[in-house]
Amino acid sequence: MLRYVSNRLLTAFGLALFATLVVFLITSLVPGDPIIAMLGDLAASKPEIVAEYRAKWGLDLPLWKQYWIFLTRLFHGDLGMSISTQRPVLADIMQYAPATIELGTIAFVLSIVIGIPFGIVAAIKRDSWVDHCARFVSLIGVSSPVFWLAFIALTVFYGWLQIAPGPGRLDPIDFPPPTVTGSFLIDSLVAGDWETFKAALYHLVLPSLVLCAATLGLITRMTRASMLETLGQDYVRVARAKGLKERAVIVGHALPNALIPVITLAGLAYANLLTGTVMTETIFSWPGLGRYTFRSALSLDLPAIMGMTLIFAIVYLIINLLVDLSYALVDPRVLKR
Amino acid sequence: MKQDQVISVSRRDLLRLLGSGGVASLAGWPAISALAQGRKDTLVIGIDTSDSTEFDPVRDLHYTPPMTVSACYDCLVTMTPGDYINLKPGLATSWARTPDGQGWRFTLRDNVKFASGNPMTAHDVKFSLDRVRYIQFQSSQYLTNVTSVNVVDDRTVDIMLKNPNEPLLTILAAPSFVVTDRKVVAEHGGDASPDSKQKDKGTEWLNQNSAGTGPYRLTQWVRNSQIQLVANPNYWGGKPAFQRIVIRHFEDGSAQLLSLRRGDIDAAFNLLPEQVTSLKSDSNVWIARHISLDFVYLALSHSPELNKALANKSARQAIGWAIDYDGIRDGLLGGSATRPANFIPVGSLGSSEDTTKEIGFRQDLDRAKKALAQAGLPDGFEFEVIYGNSMVAGTSYHVIAQKVQADLARVGIKMKLNPMPQVNVRTLYNGGKMQSVITYWNPPAVENALWGWATVQRVAKRLNWKPTETLVKLVDQASMEQDQKKQAELWRQYQIAMVDEANLLVLFQPIYQVGVRKSIKDFPLTAAGWQADLRGVRPA
Amino acid sequence: MTESVAVSDAVQVAAAEYNIAPSSTKGQRWRRRYGLAAIGAAIIVIWMLVAVFAPWIAPYKPDLVDVTQRLLPPSSLHWLGTDALGRDVLSRLLYGARVSLFVSIIVVLLGAAFGIFVGGVAAYAGGWVEHGLMRFTDLVLCFPPIILAMAIAAALGIGTVNTMIAMLVVWWPKFARLARGLVLVQRHQEYVEAAHVIGYGPGRVLWKHIMPNALGPLIVLITLDVGHAIIVFAGLSFLGLGVVPPTPEWGAMVSEGRELVEQWWCATFAGLAIFTVVMGFNFLGDGIRDWLDPRARRR
Repeated sequence: MLRYVSNRLLTAFGLALFATLVVFLITSLVPGDPIIAMLGDLAASKPEIVAEYRAKWGLDLPLWKQYWIFLTRLFHGDLGMSISTQRPVLADIMQYAPATIELGTIAFVLSIVIGIPFGIVAAIKRDSWVDHCARFVSLIGVSSPVFWLAFIALTVFYGWLQIAPGPGRLDPIDFPPPTVTGSFLIDSLVAGDWETFKAALYHLVLPSLVLCAATLGLITRMTRASMLETLGQDYVRVARAKGLKERAVIVGHALPNALIPVITLAGLAYANLLTGTVMTETIFSWPGLGRYTFRSALSLDLPAIMGMTLIFAIVYLIINLLVDLSYALVDPRVLKR
Repeated sequence: MKQDQVISVSRRDLLRLLGSGGVASLAGWPAISALAQGRKDTLVIGIDTSDSTEFDPVRDLHYTPPMTVSACYDCLVTMTPGDYINLKPGLATSWARTPDGQGWRFTLRDNVKFASGNPMTAHDVKFSLDRVRYIQFQSSQYLTNVTSVNVVDDRTVDIMLKNPNEPLLTILAAPSFVVTDRKVVAEHGGDASPDSKQKDKGTEWLNQNSAGTGPYRLTQWVRNSQIQLVANPNYWGGKPAFQRIVIRHFEDGSAQLLSLRRGDIDAAFNLLPEQVTSLKSDSNVWIARHISLDFVYLALSHSPELNKALANKSARQAIGWAIDYDGIRDGLLGGSATRPANFIPVGSLGSSEDTTKEIGFRQDLDRAKKALAQAGLPDGFEFEVIYGNSMVAGTSYHVIAQKVQADLARVGIKMKLNPMPQVNVRTLYNGGKMQSVITYWNPPAVENALWGWATVQRVAKRLNWKPTETLVKLVDQASMEQDQKKQAELWRQYQIAMVDEANLLVLFQPIYQVGVRKSIKDFPLTAAGWQADLRGVRPA
Repeated sequence: MTESVAVSDAVQVAAAEYNIAPSSTKGQRWRRRYGLAAIGAAIIVIWMLVAVFAPWIAPYKPDLVDVTQRLLPPSSLHWLGTDALGRDVLSRLLYGARVSLFVSIIVVLLGAAFGIFVGGVAAYAGGWVEHGLMRFTDLVLCFPPIILAMAIAAALGIGTVNTMIAMLVVWWPKFARLARGLVLVQRHQEYVEAAHVIGYGPGRVLWKHIMPNALGPLIVLITLDVGHAIIVFAGLSFLGLGVVPPTPEWGAMVSEGRELVEQWWCATFAGLAIFTVVMGFNFLGDGIRDWLDPRARRR
């Protein structure tokens, strides 16, 4: 088991590195030079100055050497300096990661807490109005483009009805709580600041609902389908035949088995949520990693792009690994492959 | 607005005013009860600060940080909003040529103290200017004519020049050339020796604090979140109007609009023209307007390898006659723009709206078609334009480009659109590898020579254009002409020549529109480079 | 609660088990099960017709710029209003269908073809071939698609074709994974062994025997995925990649209208169009899945 895990971890890291190599090669084809964008117009027109700053950032070295430097820095835990923000990429990531994690986790929790019970009830009362409602709502969630949903949510609840707070993690005149974890909810509770906690919570409502829409739909459908399949199994009929109460049958026998594929799907969904927040963050002015990635890609900030590629790939691969491990827990034969 | 004045300070309000942990940081300040005036003592501004990377004056300040820098520091000379031709005293009360005529001598103001309490002397001026020159970043390029800065005595400083007729004073009014507290900056790693480029470490501290003589001091900067300024009790110009200024970062105009309506912010900078129109019916808000000195222009390359048609002057002139400039101004910008004849903005010496009417392009489709015929291209031609996919002046390059495309199509000219990330645009334009480009120009300092030289030197190179000897001589002559009236006439001749060349077509010059709440009486905007003159903002 | 309108014993038992009243007629059952799918198919057909006949149906040309008519609310002249350049929103919406449907169908079909090929070969060959191919699939899967799309756009320029390339690169892995799983299940069946014994080559076995059995879920995924591809392409256009302006495209229209809260029609209708098309594909895909599911047929 341990060998399996360590094998997978090594492979994961190797794959993530390879991903950075691919990104590096593609972006080296790009005609844009971030140094020219960084310098002012007059300075950029002077080749000596441009050459000097390119050398300062190591951009005048041959490609393989640049990548080698990236690797060596990486093994010292240094992701390089971001060209557009002028500070270490790691510092940028540490600043923006909590916002994304907070948003993604809340969205994930929402989709689980709403989706699973919804799916279970829909399966139990198949073809009832609850079932149709669940299918319909989940289809809406899966069919709506996030950026459109965000726009509609903002326009209706913030622009017209004015019951939702505006974009951003807090109101314009609120100040963030002292940083402990970076999550405003946790930090404001730690500081005992109830007002900021409420403000942060209000600001989380719309973006997390919008973000969770698609995942909610997916989980509801998966739960429902899985539950239906489980309920049709023989051992369930046996349990009923034994005279167990319906509730015991469902909770004790059907549910645990039905939830297995749901859990694996949920794991992947969490990974997707964490890595797919670009649209939501853009529209809600959420200072998170998605928006940072997008901005870095726009400004061809190579160190930042490589850093984010690495992080995303690792997050994705590790969550995949955890999901596969949960498979292995259920079915040990998987390990033999 | 009575309710603004009497506010019992709840814990939340207090925390809002002071910021988290703010109580601790106020050790040494007068009693907290003095702050019970509440919201009225704080000016809250909403603006997109995403371009802010540094607040150290010697670094490249981009577009938004100058507003903060100009509130915290002073220059030797300055420009009052609306007058961009005559300089006003700043930290220097008078100036004249040095006795040998090779430079300028500045007499400094008496009794000026930095926020730290240190007195301002000529040594600080020397330190600040030397630091800019030796750190060799963007702003140092504008002081290449300076050979040395010499301290004569505590109240007098000389700036010696290579060519004493080249403009200097207008450049010194720009935010990059403020006077910093040399003791404090040196304490935190600042270096003004000729090795400053390698040795200077002061930027990190200066990004979170300021060391100047201005009415406010920088106390905190959280990237893409907020900038906090606090009143400077040692300010030489009197008591600052506010105890605290908070500049809040907003990504988009609609959030600023709603916050402005609700009174959460006092001023909103990035409103779209449609949003400004919707504010006209709001009785709590007024609109501050001011002509900027920035402009959006279309540059056309002369290189026949890139596009044979564009290399022909008549073809370029056809483009100039075909664009619907008024439509852009009224349709896309809600009327909130003006237009110079060429590369010198309206409001600067020698350029006004009348000048444009007299010598500039306007939409005239017949003349466009005639120009096409003259170029031997009666059926029109094709060319490609690049531009950045971003917002500008309340609209986007996308929209502007598509409008121009539609205008040109009416005379048979097909403009192909090639939007790309801003970085690519800058790189291609810098290397002169594009057929044409729509981009933005904002002045580093208000000095015609800078525009003039830029066009005949680096911009000409990018456009593969070799300007005539006469034109280059004209620019030099105009730059060094000391008599204002004669200078204006020379610049007019320069613009006539540029319009004829038709390679830089200015589409519009935006008029800033800022939404301000009626609780603020004065909100002076400026086009001299720092957008708003925060020291002049006064509550009602 | 069990009323005995049973058609057969099985249904009676099922009804008893599930505590639900079974439907009365075959027609009603059919409508309940496949009604949504039929609606979905109808929606798709309508949009396809719109895409094909856009030039004839649209009241205005989609790139007719007239800044004096900008941002007009829906009226009898412009049913869905005008955008920031005075162009008719309805016409742009209709033409936008062409790009969205074309791009997503091509991307999904090509991606599926390549993915199924890779996955099928991997599962059939087994051993290190399978291992290598699956790791390659993992590599592509873990790639952040946004970065890839932006890198390709920055290197090659934006445009429909370049964006399709970017999408294709990241689209095929899910098909590879699914195909591998399905083929694996089939591979160990007896009929495959029998085919080997007879002497059929691996290609023929894979193509003529295994694939037809594995095809069901693949078709479901393809149908559902077209909707997903439409959303992704619109999203990329929303971010500024995607189509070259002034090509009308739904995601780009939402992006252009994003700031205009007071002029909601610019962004809303385009998003609604995306929503209905994607819903259509989802309904259809669900219906196909239900149809293929043997256990569901029991009822």
